[in-house]
Amino acid sequence: MNNQGNEDIEIASTSIVKQAARDFATALAETPQFKAFDLAAYAFRNDQAAQQAIQALQQKQQSLRPLMQLNALSNIQREELQELQSAFTSQPVVQEYFSAQAELTKLCQALGDELSEAIGLNYAAACAASCCG
Amino acid sequence: METILCPTMQEATNVFISNLLASEDFIRYHQSQTLLDHDSTAQALLNQLSQAQTDLRKKQADSSLSRDEIDSLRVLQTQAQENDVISGYANAQQDVIKFLREINDEINQLLGFDFASFTKRSGCC
Repeated sequence: MNNQGNEDIEIASTSIVKQAARDFATALAETPQFKAFDLAAYAFRNDQAAQQAIQALQQKQQSLRPLMQLNALSNIQREELQELQSAFTSQPVVQEYFSAQAELTKLCQALGDELSEAIGLNYAAACAASCCG
Repeated sequence: METILCPTMQEATNVFISNLLASEDFIRYHQSQTLLDHDSTAQALLNQLSQAQTDLRKKQADSSLSRDEIDSLRVLQTQAQENDVISGYANAQQDVIKFLREINDEINQLLGFDFASFTKRSGCC
């Protein structure tokens, strides 16, 4: 913190706070949860079968979006979507990715709770572009 | 189950929090919050405004809202906006949120994902 002589208050400059934020991010990047997530994300991005499965699912979702918004999918269309969803989530690399993401999320939530309690603001809500954004 | 932070992570978190709290925006925000908490006029005005908004919503739902009631609410809103303590708090809150987003961007650049959205608990915001 920099003492800028503001009466008795010791003020931390923006650059000091940013450095502390970067140190915080570096410490987070060194945790087993982040490393596992990073590895799982890399494996997922480079797994051909998983990438084909997600593309097929996204293409189907896109083509059916107007009907989905109207909640007007036929049973056949619903089954097609479920099959593509299962084909995607049953990939081992995808399961590992989701599992690593869940562990990292748990850690980030604990950190967010600690930050929110200390600063008197909900960290996630304050940083979101809008409500639930 | 509670997540236990490793010592390095805990130390970095503590330093980050201390610096955030010692930043100009956070000092001003917490000072304006204390002023607001101890200002009975501002508190009374905010309570009146909150009550008027609740009443208005109820009347809107059963279509019994009158022009006079809308005008009364507008008067209260103007009074709140013109109250130095309330507007000081609102401005300080806006500034601190802007600052926090800037700091969060710094974290995101290093991690490669939006840290704030990973901290979100389920449910709205």
